[in-house]
Amino acid sequence: MSLPGTPTTSPTPMDEDNEQTVSVNTEPKRVKVYILENNEWKDTGTGFCIGEVDESKLAYLVVSDEDSPTETLLKSKLEGNIEYQRQEETLIVWKDLGGKDIALSFEESMGCDALCEFIVHVQRNIESNISLVTVKSSDNGLGSVHDIITGPVTLPSNCSEQNGRTLLEALRILNENTSFDFLKNETIEFILQSNYVDMLISHFHKAEEEKIPKDLFLLSNIIKTLILYNQRDILESMVEDDRIMGIVGILEYDTEYPTSKANHRKYLGSKGPNFKEVIPLENEDLKIIMKKCFRLQFLKDVVLVRFLDDHNFNLISEIVMDLETCIIDFLQVGTFLDRLIELYDTDTLPDSPVEKEKFVQKRKDGIRLLQQCVQMSINLDALDRSKFYKTLVRKGLFKVLDYAFHLETDSNVRILATDTIITIIEHDILLIHNVQNENSFKQQHKVAPDDKCPTRNNSQGYNSNTDSKLLLILSTILLSDKSPGLREQVVQALNTLLHPEGCLSNGEGSYDLMSRSNNESKNTSEDFPSFGYGLNSDSINLDSYNYNNDDMNNLEATESESEFQIMEYFTNFYNKIAPILFGRLIKKDATTEMTEMNGKIKKAQKDDLLLIHLVKLVSFVCTEHDRVLSRRFILENGILDSVSNLIKGNHILQLRLTAVRCIKNILCLDDKYYHRYMISKNLYAPIFKLFQENIDKNNLANSCIQDFCRIIIMECRMHRDDDHNRREDSNGTRNRSNNIIKPNANNSRTNFTILNKYLVQTYGSILRKATYIPFIQDMLKFGGESKPDHSSLENSLESENNVSVNISTDGLASNHLEDIDMKNVKRLHSEIEHFDNDPHYSGDQLAFKKSVDQMNAST
Amino acid sequence: MMDLDKIIASLREGKHIPEEAVFRLCLNSQELLMNEGNVAQVDTPVTICGDIHGQLHDLLTLFEKSGGVEKTRYIFLGDFVDRGFYSLESFLLLLCYKLRYPDRVTLIRGNHETRQITKVYGFYDEVVRKYGNSNVWRYCCEVFDYLSLGAIINNSIFCVHGGLSPDMTTVDEIRTIDRKQEVPHEGAMCDLLWSDPEDVDTWSLSPRGAGFLFGKREVDQFLEKNNVELIARAHQLVMEGYKEMFDGGLVTVWSAPNYCYRCGNVAAVLKIDDDLNREYTIFEAVQAQNEVGNAIIPTKKSQMDYFL
Repeated sequence: MSLPGTPTTSPTPMDEDNEQTVSVNTEPKRVKVYILENNEWKDTGTGFCIGEVDESKLAYLVVSDEDSPTETLLKSKLEGNIEYQRQEETLIVWKDLGGKDIALSFEESMGCDALCEFIVHVQRNIESNISLVTVKSSDNGLGSVHDIITGPVTLPSNCSEQNGRTLLEALRILNENTSFDFLKNETIEFILQSNYVDMLISHFHKAEEEKIPKDLFLLSNIIKTLILYNQRDILESMVEDDRIMGIVGILEYDTEYPTSKANHRKYLGSKGPNFKEVIPLENEDLKIIMKKCFRLQFLKDVVLVRFLDDHNFNLISEIVMDLETCIIDFLQVGTFLDRLIELYDTDTLPDSPVEKEKFVQKRKDGIRLLQQCVQMSINLDALDRSKFYKTLVRKGLFKVLDYAFHLETDSNVRILATDTIITIIEHDILLIHNVQNENSFKQQHKVAPDDKCPTRNNSQGYNSNTDSKLLLILSTILLSDKSPGLREQVVQALNTLLHPEGCLSNGEGSYDLMSRSNNESKNTSEDFPSFGYGLNSDSINLDSYNYNNDDMNNLEATESESEFQIMEYFTNFYNKIAPILFGRLIKKDATTEMTEMNGKIKKAQKDDLLLIHLVKLVSFVCTEHDRVLSRRFILENGILDSVSNLIKGNHILQLRLTAVRCIKNILCLDDKYYHRYMISKNLYAPIFKLFQENIDKNNLANSCIQDFCRIIIMECRMHRDDDHNRREDSNGTRNRSNNIIKPNANNSRTNFTILNKYLVQTYGSILRKATYIPFIQDMLKFGGESKPDHSSLENSLESENNVSVNISTDGLASNHLEDIDMKNVKRLHSEIEHFDNDPHYSGDQLAFKKSVDQMNAST
Repeated sequence: MMDLDKIIASLREGKHIPEEAVFRLCLNSQELLMNEGNVAQVDTPVTICGDIHGQLHDLLTLFEKSGGVEKTRYIFLGDFVDRGFYSLESFLLLLCYKLRYPDRVTLIRGNHETRQITKVYGFYDEVVRKYGNSNVWRYCCEVFDYLSLGAIINNSIFCVHGGLSPDMTTVDEIRTIDRKQEVPHEGAMCDLLWSDPEDVDTWSLSPRGAGFLFGKREVDQFLEKNNVELIARAHQLVMEGYKEMFDGGLVTVWSAPNYCYRCGNVAAVLKIDDDLNREYTIFEAVQAQNEVGNAIIPTKKSQMDYFL
């Protein structure tokens, strides 16, 4: 079968201006022609179809018989309001003005495409009232989906004379036109090309003046409908200088609140937020973008906040983000940042008090401005962010921060400066370090080497020891500034800076650093100091992290240079910063030296809120840092003794419980050194004293200590289950792979079983009173179980029994408790499976509890 | 000592509270909340209230329609913040009432009372807009950590924000949690705040990505094991304000009318009398008025000065 070729010059609907194409007919396409007669489609022959426009600009669909080309099977005029339906891929169906139903079935879909394009062309240029729609069966096979390809579009009246009726009609039309993409796009085109919105605004002023509420509410709904079109250009045009006030004015009226009106215009006007220029912007376009950005956010957050759906919200957010990206880009090209940072260049202030005041204020505003820049950058993509932050640091961000932390006293400004730092380091913890490093190399090559000891006034001087310096600054603020909000922020910054994974995981930064250091080391031949981690490079104590090679045996093998640097960084932290930061938790005899170093910071006035932060930091460094490094510092300085001391009275309960949690966290490390230390130093005593205070109370302290016990018993149970499984393994099925022997297979003593036994023996009398704790019996049993000798266990329980009777307010109950306890202890050896099956002991526990309750009730 | 009544009056009018005052309020609240158990004990008669979500004016309506805190005991089931435009005022007002009438107000933590969620769903932004920095948000989040995880009325009605947890099926077990922490992503504490009842045969994955779905079987077991007759929870929007399920063994109470200022739902509170009878009070969103009788349109505050 010969197939007709594809058309070479088919007219496209977009060629409206090109009158030449109008008279060009389409290529012939092979079709079958059907006519509907008596409800049946009758095949009237096969032929070739063309779209034809004749001299007098009349358009026809013409089919000539394929066997006798001179014979015309069909000649149908495109006219009036005929609706052409394209059904599926190859069918065009319509009813002509004479009422005849006609169908063209194309041999292939491309043929159908060509004739559909012809219909579109005719609609656009000759017969605007005809239309073409597509009908496809819907995805689920039920029903069909209609879509308009072209056709007449009803548009709202753009006449300057409007009234309630025309506005209502406009609202109806605008809503209807959202139902098909074609209508919607045509409407959008109309809105953008005409002055429709301006017309609405001018009618709004009139309606407001003449107090016509109906018009006002209709206008508001029309604008909202236009916003629902969710079209970027429309939204952007609404916030332009000459429209924004009109738009928010119209939106002050809301049919949901028919008796009231918002005051957005007043807000945006004189009273409202000011666009402040700390440093005059030279670029007018940039100013326009900034205002646009603010207004869109104002629309999103305030004016339309109850109205926007997710699509609108996302679109506005997207536009805002694009504008923000643009702003951040612009800021980096000119001298803007340089001029801003110059503000902090000198310590000399203007002489006149008024000028001085102004200048100080300007510096404050500059920090606000920088913080806003950095805040704005959060939404940018990662590379743009890095680029911007690097630019900031290169241009001297540290001068600003230095000012904020040393000369500025307003906590609110300091908070913003800290926020800026946090944002940057949370994005890339090594970024500041790397940029500073890059500066320091430049320095070393250009300037004499004696420039290595910077002073604050030296504008080039913030290079070689930024990290320590930052840590020191933050620590000092934490210890000296009383603003609770600032403290929390500083702690957040310290957590980020001291998070080892932050340093390791950030590939981009560290590789950057690596490659540069390799290149440069050829010239400098002084690798370590050039990384500049030390407050003072030669004091880095390499020994301090090599002192226990047992624990570090695999470190050496995998140690890459960057791990080495990180080690160095943390070593330095423990040598230089930690003694200051944790000064108040360092045992008295060790502190004398430190207090001298730390002269600036006022000595230990009672500050429980600060101590809460410090104790949390202790938890953090113990759990997150290299164990050997942190443990050495913690144990040598008796930090845990101090933490345990804080659990004792005369501190606020929040702090006491924070200290308990710190001990819990360290417990969970399952570190034998810590475990031994805490037992030998009797650091658990205050916890049980606190427990005793709260034993009959249903409160947070009680739950906190229950959790402490739960951690221990859970670990013991896990160990017991392991142990149990191992025994089964060795008894029976030995063919289970290649004899895995766990390191402590023969040693059933773990940190937790030892601790549990210790606690039960030392504080059993207290524990025994907490009968309401679901697992307390289990804990007591475990405490006894590890005793090899039965009789001595019973003895010890009996002796403690006496104690508990003495302390107990209800001697009868606790005697009874001991009886049952003993039974359970004995039974444990024969019925161990039973416990395995029922980890919660709920049955036993409930029965037991009930019997105790009955005893209590009867007394 | 700060003047609580003055602060309460300001809050009711939606006025700005100085950062200092918020800090002290939060610190005092911590001390009070620490004395309560993970599952607080509450006596009848008491009125149980569901999600509030920062709809201050509707919260005021709630008090008005249900007797007021001067005469009535209340349990709030959490989700004080996010979504609405007055999260801060709503939460602080409840804290003030707690401080002012400690025995008459019990506050339970909802899944929105966390740092992570409030950063996304509005409370954080609201504070930054109102104060220019996040301090006040930090103070409030610290208080969130001290809120109870549930309550039990006359040892007979268990109250919780979300629902049950497969990990802890008795009230005594819930008491072993050290609740002073950010809500974890899994485990009992998370489940209590996130789970939902559903027609399921057993514990099932929740579409929320946290907590579980639980069915009649789990509810019946919990009721029997703990010897209680009702679980009262919130957490899910109910257009009618409340919904009983599982033969009356569980009820969802929702107290934010016209949720998000657009859902068109009514709200309810549930009063439990001394004989444990349940009485629901339904209320709608009404347009709020300021002190001189002008209507208030709920709206967000815009950021003030801007430089960019």
